[in-house]
Amino acid sequence: MHARALTPLVALAAVAVFVITVAAAPAPSALHMPWREAGWSEREAAAHLLDRFAFGARPGEVEKVVAMGLDRWLERQLAADLPDHDLDRRLARLDALEMSAAEMARQFPRPPRLLAEARRAGVVEGRGERARDEEMSAAGEEMQDTGEAMQETGEPVRDPARAETRRAVMRWAREQGYRPERELLGQLMAQKLYRAVYAENQLAEVLVDFWFNHFNVSLTDNRTRTYLLAYERDAIRPHVLGKFRTMLGATAQHPAMLVYLDNAQSSAAEGTVTLAPGMTERRRGGRRRPPEVRGGADGAVPELPEMQGATGAAREPEAAAAPASPERRRRPRGLNENYARELLELHTLGVDGGYTQQDVVEVARAFTGWTLMPPGGRRRAAQAAPARAERMAAMGYESNGAFLFRADLHDAGAKTVLGQRFQAGRGVEEGRQVLDLLAKHPATARHLARKLAVRFVGDEPPAALVERLAAVYTQTNGDLRRVVRAVAESPDFWAKEARGAKIKSPFELAVSAVRALGAEVADPRGLLQWTAQMGQRLYAYSAPTGFPDRADAWVNTGSLLNRMNFGLQLASGGVRGVRFDLAALAGGREPATREEAVALYAPLLLPGRALDGVIATLKPTADDPELAARVEAVGVILGSPEFQRR
Amino acid sequence: MWTRRVFLKAGGIALFGLGAGPRFLVRTARAAALPAPLGRRKVLVTIFQRGAMDGLAAVAPVAEPVLGRLRPRLALSAARAAGDEKALDLGTGWAFHPALAGLLPLWRERRLAIVHAVGSPDPTRSHFDAQDYMETGTPGRKGTPSGWLNRAVGLLGHDASPLRAVSLTPALPRALYGTAPAIAVTDLSRFEVRLPGAERAAAAAGAGFEALYRGTAPELLQETAGETFEAVEILAASELAAYRPAAGADYPQSPLGQALRQIAFLVKAKVGLEVAFAESGGWDTHVAQGATRGTFARRAADLAQSIAAFWTDLGAYQDDVVLMTMTEFGRTVRENGSGGTDHGHGSCMFVLGSQVAGGKVHGKLPGLSPDALHEGRDLPVTTDFRAVFCEVAGKHLGIGDDGALFPGWTGKRLPLLA
Repeated sequence: MHARALTPLVALAAVAVFVITVAAAPAPSALHMPWREAGWSEREAAAHLLDRFAFGARPGEVEKVVAMGLDRWLERQLAADLPDHDLDRRLARLDALEMSAAEMARQFPRPPRLLAEARRAGVVEGRGERARDEEMSAAGEEMQDTGEAMQETGEPVRDPARAETRRAVMRWAREQGYRPERELLGQLMAQKLYRAVYAENQLAEVLVDFWFNHFNVSLTDNRTRTYLLAYERDAIRPHVLGKFRTMLGATAQHPAMLVYLDNAQSSAAEGTVTLAPGMTERRRGGRRRPPEVRGGADGAVPELPEMQGATGAAREPEAAAAPASPERRRRPRGLNENYARELLELHTLGVDGGYTQQDVVEVARAFTGWTLMPPGGRRRAAQAAPARAERMAAMGYESNGAFLFRADLHDAGAKTVLGQRFQAGRGVEEGRQVLDLLAKHPATARHLARKLAVRFVGDEPPAALVERLAAVYTQTNGDLRRVVRAVAESPDFWAKEARGAKIKSPFELAVSAVRALGAEVADPRGLLQWTAQMGQRLYAYSAPTGFPDRADAWVNTGSLLNRMNFGLQLASGGVRGVRFDLAALAGGREPATREEAVALYAPLLLPGRALDGVIATLKPTADDPELAARVEAVGVILGSPEFQRR
Repeated sequence: MWTRRVFLKAGGIALFGLGAGPRFLVRTARAAALPAPLGRRKVLVTIFQRGAMDGLAAVAPVAEPVLGRLRPRLALSAARAAGDEKALDLGTGWAFHPALAGLLPLWRERRLAIVHAVGSPDPTRSHFDAQDYMETGTPGRKGTPSGWLNRAVGLLGHDASPLRAVSLTPALPRALYGTAPAIAVTDLSRFEVRLPGAERAAAAAGAGFEALYRGTAPELLQETAGETFEAVEILAASELAAYRPAAGADYPQSPLGQALRQIAFLVKAKVGLEVAFAESGGWDTHVAQGATRGTFARRAADLAQSIAAFWTDLGAYQDDVVLMTMTEFGRTVRENGSGGTDHGHGSCMFVLGSQVAGGKVHGKLPGLSPDALHEGRDLPVTTDFRAVFCEVAGKHLGIGDDGALFPGWTGKRLPLLA
């Protein structure tokens, strides 16, 4: 029905595509955003779009959007297919973005592994016992955990002997071609900032920010650090305008999530029948410790005894290089409910989504065995006799990239999730079935609809809007592009009270300020530091809830002061690595007083907003000899209440 | 202080005639009519020892002969060594690590209590998880959005100062996540509108900001800005730069020492502080923990000297304050192969205050034989940390709703405060 509404020409051109699409879900009709009906001027409406579906307007951008047409601008943003040459050039310097997850792990080793290797190489003294390796590994974590990563273990080590050891290890690591993990995290943060500031496909970046936060994983949990870049790149970014179910599945299987919410360590409870009971017995009868007391990378993942050589001598070097950290070694076998609980509460149904604690347990049981491939595990598996690999596959073992399903840890019993009976013994399919069930659930539709409405419309979105978006989600089988499109088409998005109703997060503030100034960011660190100081250290919200998307979470006494100071500091050229030309921004006009400067710059930095109040308020001031009038004016505008809103 | 504040605001009106609407005047009048949130308040000061302090090294059960056998390089006895090399006997089978000498007078005055074998019911040995659980107050649940100290602030039940909850840390700790206003700041002297090298411009900009935020729509931004400028004014008026700690209060130059120094300043400046948070790092002593010297001794000395200086500095304000330490878990009873200890389970806490039942080790220690230990290796947890947190917040801050403070917890408070 919707294809008919298209103009004949477009319909004709698109006919081949639409034949396929229509079969799956009704195609969208022509975009209609009701801004005229709501009394907005075209400029105001363009500015609103740039505030909500982009990280704010760049100089002259409101005019550009008006010139190309608001509908066309949004369609291009929804298609997310604009060429991004400028951004690509900036990202080219960040080599980790192109690395496979395995390559990242190789080049940026976790500190415990690094230290253990250094020990074996004789760089650090020691007797070479495994136990000692493990202790040193934990110490290695601490050794590299200095500066901004202090939270976990506290202050940097000041002991001179340890400082010397550390220098020796770092020197050795450089010689081996290893790079510090914090460089990887630096690249992760830099790419986020560059993309937000420079991407032409702004909506996609806004959505990556939103969905990463929805499926939050935090670098404050050391174990996740190697995986964060790949997580955003592979599990979030490709799906933000696709199907929710696909993103849900990608996050569920990603090492970052498996480690962060502990599913990697969840196994069928002691005494429960697993899918591969025979293997468990054999292993226990063997000479090795049982699997649940062994560790893989960071000790998070039990090793795969059946997939490696039969004797200790056949151990792969990289497996030995990643010994268990002591705190993980004796973890008893059993169910860990963390992922299951947050999957229901945060990722899908929502806290009032009508599930019970028993559902949490049943979901956790369904996901037992969802874990990570240990380092070197794939190679060992390939080297193992093909017959064994076949036998394992037949028992339900499955691996895909870093994901591994271990039949021997999977609870083989029947389950009942949200009233639906799951037959016993279906292995990895049970988790997938849970995800299907959850992605389709009306509570999920409402929960996601509400979160998107909060992000794009206001902190307390109208119930009718949430219902409408939930309906679109359900009708389109969780098509996120269609839901975002429905936001833009809703009268609530264009209600007058929605205007400027959202308070920018610190990241949004920093990015929108830099965009408004048309600034060149040569080095992202200064901006990142300010963003952290204003209360948002990127990728570091430790709770799985993600950063709260509400004004009252961002606006508090300390952070507001930092926001004002950020405006002043940025305007005065004091944020390291950021350059801009205020004279050029104003087309070379030279204001004589701050009064003139405010009147000149306020409309440039806050296009499409009503600014009479701001300009009037700031009128009567004495000129200050210390700073150019325009610097002070721009600083006050960037720190003003109006600039905090979007 | 209020007089000064009103004066300053009046000055602001003269300067920014166009920006100051009647709304502002109403607000000030309302504020003046309310019971002033400033003034002396009961203050809870918390110190998080990140990295997991070895409770058995800090406060050792010297009467347990097994300790010396399991820790040949680490254990001290009250008798073994001479001078400051020996553990400080507390009587009843317990001894302080010698580096905690600064706490001994407070113990003798019966203001300092120890809770031993305390910790979380969750068995995790991950720093991240255990800190998270201790700060949310919900062991085993990662999704709790708020921290327990933030909930405590929300439950205070009276008008509060903009400086009611202050964390002397670079970022707000998990314990203070939540909807009640809280400030994270490492240097109070920088809590102002500032532009280094351009002070006059900053002052002019500050006046501009104040006028703009006063004139903005009457919701969150306007209200918070009001609180912000009040806090700035309160701090400016209380003259932090001129602050001199009381005689004999010798703060270490460490982050903890400087944090406590600023907390003492806030207490004595009567700015309405009620909950303060500070951190002490470096407790993850896997390697070369040391006996009388080494990593542990340095951290312990910093902790004890910082607390002792703080208490001396408080002087007449001691009755207003309860200080409580916490750490995410303890360490293995047996020392490891590199002269350190690995991640364990139970540890100990210090609680200091005039109303505290001090000079006593609270909690139960069921001995150190293997079957008394957690998983055969760690000091068990016989007191849930929430039993202590609840007692302290309940008695000292007057918070009665334990269930709201620690959702899902049905345990009993540990009697500690009069």
